[in-house]
Amino acid sequence: MISIQTVLLAALDGLSYGAQVFMVAVGLSLIFGVLRIVNVAHGSFYAIGAYVAASFGLFIAAAGWSPWLTYPAMALSACLVGIVVGGTLEVALLRRIYGKEQVLQLLVTFAVFMILEDMQKAVWGVRPYFIDAPLGLLGTVNILGINYSIYQLVVVPLFAVVMLVSLRYVLRHTRLGRIVTAVTDDREAAAAMGVDATRVYLLTFMIGASIAAFGGALASGATSLVPGMGAGMTILSFAVAATAGLGRIEGAAVAALMIGLGRSLAVYMAPEFDVLVPYLIMFLVLLFKPQGLFSVQQTRKV
Amino acid sequence: MLRLERVSAEIEGVVVVRDASLDIASGATVALIGRNGAGKTSLQRLIMGALKPRSGRLSFDGHDLAGMPAHRRPFLGIGYAPEDRRLYGSFTLEENLRFPGEVMRLSAAELSRRLDLVYAVLPELRDMRERLAAGLSGGQGKMVALGRALVAGTRLILLDEPFQGLAPVLAQRYGAALRGLRQADRDIALLIAESNPALLSFADESYLIERGEVSRHGTPRAPISWA
Ligand SMILES: Nc1ncnc2c1ncn2[C@@H]1O[C@H](COP(=O)(O)OP(=O)(O)OP(=O)(O)O)[C@@H](O)[C@H]1O
Ligand SMILES: [Mg+2]
Repeated sequence: MISIQTVLLAALDGLSYGAQVFMVAVGLSLIFGVLRIVNVAHGSFYAIGAYVAASFGLFIAAAGWSPWLTYPAMALSACLVGIVVGGTLEVALLRRIYGKEQVLQLLVTFAVFMILEDMQKAVWGVRPYFIDAPLGLLGTVNILGINYSIYQLVVVPLFAVVMLVSLRYVLRHTRLGRIVTAVTDDREAAAAMGVDATRVYLLTFMIGASIAAFGGALASGATSLVPGMGAGMTILSFAVAATAGLGRIEGAAVAALMIGLGRSLAVYMAPEFDVLVPYLIMFLVLLFKPQGLFSVQQTRKV
Repeated sequence: MLRLERVSAEIEGVVVVRDASLDIASGATVALIGRNGAGKTSLQRLIMGALKPRSGRLSFDGHDLAGMPAHRRPFLGIGYAPEDRRLYGSFTLEENLRFPGEVMRLSAAELSRRLDLVYAVLPELRDMRERLAAGLSGGQGKMVALGRALVAGTRLILLDEPFQGLAPVLAQRYGAALRGLRQADRDIALLIAESNPALLSFADESYLIERGEVSRHGTPRAPISWA
């Protein structure tokens, strides 16, 4: 018999998980929109972001510094991973495969994924990592008899919302945002108006990678880090991006929430289906809205 | 000002521009007449840097265009209105107009000076400046695309089949805007691609393009005999 507590617990888990999935998926679709590249290694930024943040967290604890420092350390980890790992990847590799056949792009980014996966094992080993400072600092709250961590209930979703709002703002109301939108719409026309696509590609890739890494950094305070977490996140974020329709930020948020909730309900009630549920949701949405939940408004051509 | 010397280019192994030579002086209105598939768009994309030349020389005011990245063109004063007008649907009309100036980081004074010229030549745009570009009609969009090309192009403007798909009244209005531009600024050069030469009777000179080959034709009013 499924109790109301189980459903509630699943919903709370799903909210926190959906927030993380959103951050990975939104970066993925931002990158796809601008670079037109399907980056299979995108989930690796999430995993590396998580490990780097955890390492900082352990260092801070060992040094006896204030545990509050783990929060800025998370942001720092995210930027570091996005700029160093993401930047290197774009300059050294992706630049060579823009506009090439998709099969080639998939093979190259898959190879990158495998390399990054092994690098994580080489650096951090295979034993689970866990830092409890962010969680422990804020304590728990009692909801209908369930003790739930404030970190997962408030902090993680709050950061996701902040990310959503700031991305929307930047894209709509700033010069950089208009340039990114212009390149996403039509790169050739954008170049004719003075946009240096090479720089926009690099910047977009680093931003997208940083957002995913930030999702991972947040996860480091809520779950234990294990090898393979990047792969799982890549798959989920692809499902989210497909469900939302690529390039839609609000769509990614709704789809991530749906898939996060769906998955964690499955984990509690029908664990044998937990892998299947995200695809089921994606399938159902695409059956009725093949362009995704939120299809993009197109300029009418003459 | 703009000079092409025996320029060739290919797309996926097919030669689309063949040994083209072309000279455009400051202030000239030049027609580029060719049938569908003749290579008008390819020639303009070549000038804009979207296509790389296989051989030949392209220069603008003595600057070598072939080796210059596409996005440097607006900084030389070259503007472009592609054939499918390619406005940004989620931007307002005026955001579309401002965009090249914003990208080039023009000073506010310089940008508003350029916008004044656009609104002087195309006064009908002023009332619609807050409208989203996605909601404009095809003809209105063509006017915005011309205005946007004017913001970047202080010296040379390339227009790719600007009259295509315009109802007769709008086509007349568009032609009048081009003549108005001529009067407002005598130094801007125009290179207008069209398949119908009758629409460009106001041009000073014209070139024919056929299967990628460009030949000088003198004035557009001279009757064309297609080979
Ligand atoms: N992306 C492309 N791939 C392959 N061939 C192309 C491509 N673009 C143009 N071509 C070919 O190049 C030639 C010239 O095309 P272009 O578009 O320059 O002609 P056009 O004069 O502008 O024609 P239209 O009046 O139809 O716009 C045509 O034979 C066309 O098939
Ligand atoms: Mg054409």
